[in-house]
Amino acid sequence: MVRMSRRSVLTSSVGLTVAGLARPHIANAQAKTASVWVNQGFVPQEDAAFKKLAADYMKESGNTLDYSIMPFQAQNQKTIAALASGDVPDLVFMDAPGTILPQNAWNNKIVDVSDVVQPYEHLLTDTAKLASTFYDKTLRKRSYFLCPIKQGATPFHVWGDLVEKAGFKISDVPNTWNARWDFFKPMQKILRAKGMRKIYALGLEVETVGPNDGNNLYIHTMIANGGVGIVTSDGKLHTDDPKVREAAIKTVEYLSTAFKEGFVPPEALSWNDADDNNGFHERLFLVDFDGTISTELAMYSNKDAYNKMVTLGMPHGNDGKPVPCQVNAGGGFIPKGAKNVTVAKDLMKYWMQPKVMGENLKAGLGRWAPAITQIVKDDPWWLDKSDEHRSTYIREAVLEPTTAVFTGYTPAWGQVEAEQILQQSTADVVKNGMTATAAVDKMFKRANDIFARFTFE
Amino acid sequence: MSGVQQALVAGQTNAGVRWRAWGGGLRGSEYSWAIAFTLPYAAVFLAFVAYPVVFGLWLGHSPELYSQLFDDPLYLNTVVNTILYVGIGVNVRMFLAFLISGFFMRREWWVRALFLAFILPWAMPALPTALSFHWLLNGQWGLFDNLLWFLFGVDGPIWLNSRWTALGSNIVAYIWKFMPFWTVIFLAGRMAIPQDLYEAADVDGATGYRRFAHVTFPLLANLYLICTLLSTIFTVGDFTTVYFVSGGGPAMSTDVLATLGIREAFTVGRPELGVAAVMTALPIVIPIVIFLMRKLSTTEVQL
Amino acid sequence: MSLALTAGWSNRRRYRVRHALMQSAAILFALVLLIWSLLPIYNMLLMALDKHDDIFSGAIWPPEPTLYSFQIVVTEGFWYLQYFWKQYANSIYVGAATTFFTLLIGSLTSYTVGRLRPPKAWLITNTAMLTYVIPASFLAIPFYRIMSTYGLGNSLWGVVAAYVTFGTPYAIFIFQQYGKSIPMELDESARIDGASPLQIYLRIYLPLMAPALVAVGTYALLLAWNDFLFQFLLLSSEKNMTVPVALAQFFNSDEAPWNYMMATAIVYSIPPVLFYYLFRNKMASGLTMGGVKG
Repeated sequence: MVRMSRRSVLTSSVGLTVAGLARPHIANAQAKTASVWVNQGFVPQEDAAFKKLAADYMKESGNTLDYSIMPFQAQNQKTIAALASGDVPDLVFMDAPGTILPQNAWNNKIVDVSDVVQPYEHLLTDTAKLASTFYDKTLRKRSYFLCPIKQGATPFHVWGDLVEKAGFKISDVPNTWNARWDFFKPMQKILRAKGMRKIYALGLEVETVGPNDGNNLYIHTMIANGGVGIVTSDGKLHTDDPKVREAAIKTVEYLSTAFKEGFVPPEALSWNDADDNNGFHERLFLVDFDGTISTELAMYSNKDAYNKMVTLGMPHGNDGKPVPCQVNAGGGFIPKGAKNVTVAKDLMKYWMQPKVMGENLKAGLGRWAPAITQIVKDDPWWLDKSDEHRSTYIREAVLEPTTAVFTGYTPAWGQVEAEQILQQSTADVVKNGMTATAAVDKMFKRANDIFARFTFE
Repeated sequence: MSGVQQALVAGQTNAGVRWRAWGGGLRGSEYSWAIAFTLPYAAVFLAFVAYPVVFGLWLGHSPELYSQLFDDPLYLNTVVNTILYVGIGVNVRMFLAFLISGFFMRREWWVRALFLAFILPWAMPALPTALSFHWLLNGQWGLFDNLLWFLFGVDGPIWLNSRWTALGSNIVAYIWKFMPFWTVIFLAGRMAIPQDLYEAADVDGATGYRRFAHVTFPLLANLYLICTLLSTIFTVGDFTTVYFVSGGGPAMSTDVLATLGIREAFTVGRPELGVAAVMTALPIVIPIVIFLMRKLSTTEVQL
Repeated sequence: MSLALTAGWSNRRRYRVRHALMQSAAILFALVLLIWSLLPIYNMLLMALDKHDDIFSGAIWPPEPTLYSFQIVVTEGFWYLQYFWKQYANSIYVGAATTFFTLLIGSLTSYTVGRLRPPKAWLITNTAMLTYVIPASFLAIPFYRIMSTYGLGNSLWGVVAAYVTFGTPYAIFIFQQYGKSIPMELDESARIDGASPLQIYLRIYLPLMAPALVAVGTYALLLAWNDFLFQFLLLSSEKNMTVPVALAQFFNSDEAPWNYMMATAIVYSIPPVLFYYLFRNKMASGLTMGGVKG
């Protein structure tokens, strides 16, 4: 009874979709239909690119896709609701599935897609592969649960014209982490003297609100200080490693000192996810460290501003060695209980073809980098020097050293990030007067408590 | 219907404000009407409440969830915040709504016009208004601090950077948003008070404050109580305001149980934890619910 | 006023001064209320009137006021808003249906419980309270499940059902409270005159409940109008979505034209205000009906 009503809903919406698409050929009666949830893109071209891809796929395969393009937040909540209630779509395509995959793969709720990914293994970047691997506790193994299509990295965004106004040259920007941030500090005073009364040097995201920025900045600062070993790919936390501890302390010290010395806008502590971008566009500060080039692309139509911005890739660490950028992977995953796993897998196989992948991502103005290195080498558009933002960003995301986000290693890390304990330690120093050491110890303790809940045997 | 008119006159002559309690049960044919009239709600309840509530309770049943919750050092903080947020938010707002509803009983045209402006906060969607508050309170570009500077030359603090001012801002935002709603309810309640009661009171020589204490307040007291309790339940579940105004910040210090729950459900991706977080408020919610149930089942009208 | 101060004044003068003071107090109060209510909304308007670059400039008055954002909203000129009017229509549909059913079911139930008083009527109101034991936002997930089970997934009716479920108990309570101030004698004598419960409900109960109906009706409308969680969860296809879901798109990335968002919110809030404005006279009419003089 129940099944019938669901199927009747599906068939009627399929009918509508088929009619709506007005494809010249009639869908094969043998062909199957898959329900797909796609997150809405950043620019309309991304959505259009997906629709085109879907249409091409349907033509080629004869299968039908019943897709819904929905806002990212809605899709996140819907997918979680679907997974919790057991009523799932066939394929979910997310730019950043980090909130959903680790936990649900752990609980054996996602379909293993190794058969889809393996043919492409030799083409995918290492980090794409790592970021698509998750641990399933029931099966006791790590496997591919995500079919990666896109990757995101984090560059520096700078107002080049303000740097010049302060009398400095952007080409002089140092190439080590701390020195790079320090470079901008003296400009604050100079620019204020020149009439920009409210400007700050650094847009350090020390907030504990909003999903990503605070965590992102903190982790990269740690990596730059030698602390990349805090979580290893086997999902273990290494807070007892003295190098890691030292890196964390240095991170907290640097961020809190910059804040206390007045180089960071004071309300950075209570920024939400959009406020660092709002501040940047408002020219409230000179430089920030924010994921993808969406900051620049938002100004795409304002060529003047677009050209004033400067995008910088990762510098070297404070020890002079290259710092890998942490990169995530986005793509499609299949919840368990999906009725049409075959079509879902087929679609992802189609999508992962380098040609299809490349074209699909190109439409997004390069905000997301492809998961296959060869694409950026074959198509000159990606590294086209005439667009300095995109070429720097793509180089950072695909060609220069990268490391995978920790979320794939264990669901515990996702919880650590969700609880914002990283930047909380900075806030502890700034607001609650703790010493950096004490704040870091507090943070480590909490992280260990969280990790203790996820044992691997 | 002359019978009605007579009854009304009869009712009015009991100007000492006593209604006779309706003492009987139903006559035969009316029983089927009663069934017919309650059937719609029964259907709604069975179809849409029974299962979800049971499912929801089931989601949050595992004790392990609660030990996880209590382990979190921020949990206690969150409870304190929730108590403050709900306690102050609900009571201050109810009281103000009550007073303001009296104000809006006035007949002047500008009062009526003001009322339209007054309900705007309620009419606007919560998400943009909460966001507007968030930006209003920003120290750099926020309208509020800029106005303070413009009008008084005072450099306002960064409201959202400190736990207590952020909490206060959340409370103010919440009061702002829903006070019109309760004012409307109280206004309707006031309008229900028959004019002749006031006139009888006037005849007795009670004016102003005495009128309020002896006529208005007793009649509205029940309504006030019920609204307060219902509002408490609603507020415990409200996350939009806190989420968008302070985001639970700075450093998670203004989280309430609802935002904690939502974060667990949709950011950590563990809806069971989210439900469990809100269920820890049950020790407060259940007594309220029981109290309300008992209040509402009394069938006599009394003063 | 102390007698000492006003010893020499005539009663009339005392009254006039007092009246003037009360009036000015009222006006002052009204002013405070006005500023209180409108400040955050002014902020929204400010943002909506700003050009993109000025939104966070910290100005009190839009430096370059422009109706561009509103134009974009109304002409569906931005891709997030491309289905704006369809979604608006959906919102109106959901709002109207929710209001209607909440009022209908709520008033029928409270009429029965409060006036007809069948035995065990308290069961109904008590179980209704169970709806509120778990906050609505956390019931979203089970709701998602049952809507698909009932075949109401991705349907506006699923959303309406959810809102009616949450609004009705509250409606019942308010109606009951309010109904207590309507004398039972009215029912009694109507019954003596031979009226059926349905006729009493339609001719006596509903008209006398007018103020409460307007109040609760506006509540139900706004419940449906402004919620986004259930609309997110229960709706998928773009054409089916409502404006709050459209607003959510602005959070797709951390960059968004906030001025468009605020303009959308402002345009979106007009119907409820209109609704209240149109029906507020009904609220006042309850005043005269509640205390008919002979």
